[in-house]
Amino acid sequence: MRVEIRDYASRSREIIKEEPGVREAVTGATIAFDEKRRQGYSEIDADAWRRWAEGVKNHTLTHLDHYLTEAEARLEANGAQVHWASDATEAREIVTRLAKQHSVRSVVKGKSMATEEIDLNLALEDAGIEVFETDLGEYILQLLEEPPSHILGPAIHKSLQQVQRLFADRLGSAPDGDPDTLAEAARLVLRDAFIRADMGITGGNFLVAETGTVALIENEGNIRLTTSLPRVHVAVVGIEKLLPRMTDLAGFLQLTARAATGQPIGCFVSLVQGPAVHPDDDGPEEVHVVLVDNGRTDVLAHEHAWEALRCVRCGACLNACPVYRQTGGHAYGWVYSGPIGSVLDPGLLGLHEAMPLPFASSLCGACTDACPVRIPIPELLLHWREEAQEEGLTPWKERAALAGLASVATRPGLYRLAGRIGSRLGATGVARALPMLGEWARDRALPKPSRQTFRQLWREGIE
Amino acid sequence: MPHEGAVPVGWGGYLSRMNVALFVTCLADHYFADAAADAVRLLRHLGCDVTFPPGQTCCGQPAYNAGKSRDAMRMARHTMDVFADSEAVVLPSGSCATMVKKFYPRVVRGAAGAAGQAGAGARAAQASALADKTFDLAEFIHHRLGVTELGDGLAGRRVAVHQGCHALRELRLETELAVLLEGAGAEVVPWEAQDECCGFGGLFSVKMTDVSAAMADRKLETLPELDWVVSGDGGCMLHLDGRNRARGMGVEFVHLATALWRGVTGAHRPAGAR
Amino acid sequence: MRGDSSRERILARVAKATASRQRLPHPGALVTPPADDPVGGFVKRFTSSGGEVAEADPERSPSEWLTGFLGGLDPAVAGVAIGADVPADLRPRLPAVAAAHAGAGISVAWGAVAESGSLVLPSTGTRTAQLLPPVHIVWVPEGRVFARLEDALAELQDGLPAGVGLHSGPSKSADIGRTVVTGVHGPGRCIALVGPGSTASTGVT
Repeated sequence: MRVEIRDYASRSREIIKEEPGVREAVTGATIAFDEKRRQGYSEIDADAWRRWAEGVKNHTLTHLDHYLTEAEARLEANGAQVHWASDATEAREIVTRLAKQHSVRSVVKGKSMATEEIDLNLALEDAGIEVFETDLGEYILQLLEEPPSHILGPAIHKSLQQVQRLFADRLGSAPDGDPDTLAEAARLVLRDAFIRADMGITGGNFLVAETGTVALIENEGNIRLTTSLPRVHVAVVGIEKLLPRMTDLAGFLQLTARAATGQPIGCFVSLVQGPAVHPDDDGPEEVHVVLVDNGRTDVLAHEHAWEALRCVRCGACLNACPVYRQTGGHAYGWVYSGPIGSVLDPGLLGLHEAMPLPFASSLCGACTDACPVRIPIPELLLHWREEAQEEGLTPWKERAALAGLASVATRPGLYRLAGRIGSRLGATGVARALPMLGEWARDRALPKPSRQTFRQLWREGIE
Repeated sequence: MPHEGAVPVGWGGYLSRMNVALFVTCLADHYFADAAADAVRLLRHLGCDVTFPPGQTCCGQPAYNAGKSRDAMRMARHTMDVFADSEAVVLPSGSCATMVKKFYPRVVRGAAGAAGQAGAGARAAQASALADKTFDLAEFIHHRLGVTELGDGLAGRRVAVHQGCHALRELRLETELAVLLEGAGAEVVPWEAQDECCGFGGLFSVKMTDVSAAMADRKLETLPELDWVVSGDGGCMLHLDGRNRARGMGVEFVHLATALWRGVTGAHRPAGAR
Repeated sequence: MRGDSSRERILARVAKATASRQRLPHPGALVTPPADDPVGGFVKRFTSSGGEVAEADPERSPSEWLTGFLGGLDPAVAGVAIGADVPADLRPRLPAVAAAHAGAGISVAWGAVAESGSLVLPSTGTRTAQLLPPVHIVWVPEGRVFARLEDALAELQDGLPAGVGLHSGPSKSADIGRTVVTGVHGPGRCIALVGPGSTASTGVT
């Protein structure tokens, strides 16, 4: 999808002011998700699980070349075909070529952030192939031609009424249909698509090196169908998705589900080793795994940001984030939004492209407490801010003001004087003309300074 | 929740009075001066001798949060020198206390890593020594002094606690403010957004002002029936109160130090006095 | 070929990115508390996720009992889709129809897991029978209920089929108005029939 990150501030303003329903829907949904996550964590020794998961991912990421080649060898031994894509263009070419080779006319897709990232649907449609998103939320957004707003609940920003209008218009369902009726209307269209599809395309939550297993988590059953019914299955998997062993997968399947929705495990998990090669086996004739870099090796090489590659895309940080809750994902301007997007996007796209996301956080730390792999998101945001300052990507007035503060604050006499002037001035109309206070004062009453500073009170003696 | 250096002194503290250096912080100095004075009264009442090292300035958090680590380092160095000889340092601000306690060691490590300077080891030792003896006000009273019963001056007051994020998630002060307020006689009422960020975040509130204001609205709109919102963080209160006054919501914000001192004295000053 | 050069390029970039980084060790197995009653644990988890559990009448043959059970469902099942690996004595006496038109799919699990409340369904069964009908009925030999997912996957690893499905309840979605809807794509009801037996795939005999 197109990168429109630089407009974060104005887009978030627009959403807050002009689409108040988004804030309401997203806040409600994420608070509910977050509560389920807390409940899900409370049923296990969550700290121990999270530390373990962090350790497994750190091990994997520091031995990634080894596990990538092991996974490749296993997949090939299982009869699957492995492709490598350096960037989005190459990934699109690989999948489109496979579709053409198999004379594919119709594709069903499971929800996949990786395929959003590489803009796959557009490429397939340009090649004359019909594409159906089959996750209910993704299907709604496909009809609306909108990108997902949340990793897990792509359409959480939509109200029931909006879906009622959409389905009445496009699927002919009753304009006041309840969620069951609406889901049934979508199911009928998509059931037909499943039966007709020549190719199923998914992402992959994990790729187990030891067995060559692509693991997929879901609740609707659409991914099970996507990986089972069409004759060709293509999984588009980021190279950071590796896990060493099948036994590691057991822990990750459960921890990811608990972090995402509080469930002990997703209702459906698909473990895909390869095509059905034995006569007793049932399933697709061909399985292709596309391993995608697209910026991941840049993130891996970064001294600090590599830790963000532990991410399992559970969405727990989005659900916990009070910043995300005000706007949903669209304000962030690219596929990965919320706290994880703000640390991952600068690495994947380059910091310049991802400004001002490192600053789109109050650094409250709720994300890190929720993260199943303990990514230190506020710390990583600070590292990106530091780089942004060094590269001059922030407004010069801001940099000058902060350097000025440091100069003043290391000279106590000057500091006292500046403080007196600053707080008094800040309380007057002059403040509204100052670059930073002016922004503050647009939505807030100006702070009232104390009658006397503490220093004065101290000098006079505190009784 | 383990708290390093949590040695309750109790009555022992009254026998050998503890020396406490107050690090007032910029916002308390100028906007919560009365609350900072109440912190002094409270600490004296609890058996401490309070000093005010005059060379103190800004802890450097605005620069640190903005990613200006070199500027933050300059201010950290200054602060470390100012409080080098203090026995204990107490701040009436959870956020600035966190800066000193948790972020100075990081800033120093970062600076050492960037420059590989000589003397980095000494600076690291100085940062860690300062971290060990620095406390947020609530943390100091609850864990260092071991005091949770302050009086009943807040009897009949319904208060909600706004948890500052740094105190909550870095210092892990999860219940301390409520315990102290109850120990001062107040009724602490549940607030669904109690632990949520108010949207201040320093620079964040001016860079992303709309999101920041919407976050404050979420806090304000979920408030239960109450007399005061109490917080140990001046920045959060300026922001929340700024939004409160802009919207004419009539919520009253009181700094923790003032609330607790009123708990001790039972003094009823005019509402809204800072 | 471009693909090959990408493979080399990516692997080289990975190696370079991690070259100077400390190689961190694997933390070993995740230690979780042991469970003493796997069957009870499975039933609890599975039902709390919306799955259903029924018990066959030991006085009747499984086939006869299942035929009656399917007739008693609402709506009564007329035609069934039966997994290729379901033994004859576990098949109901009802007409076999295409999965897309069947009232129920009948499978036999390789095993089940207490910890996650999951049925383990290998692709040696019939995927359409597991997925397309509105009701999915799964025979589970009680000797094949594992305490932990890790134990099940470790054993499964030795003879992994092309695909494995873990089914832990009915198909559901909360994508519309945050209301939970069942049977969105997969079966809206998933019923486990836990019975005696300890053999994988051909359990209850």
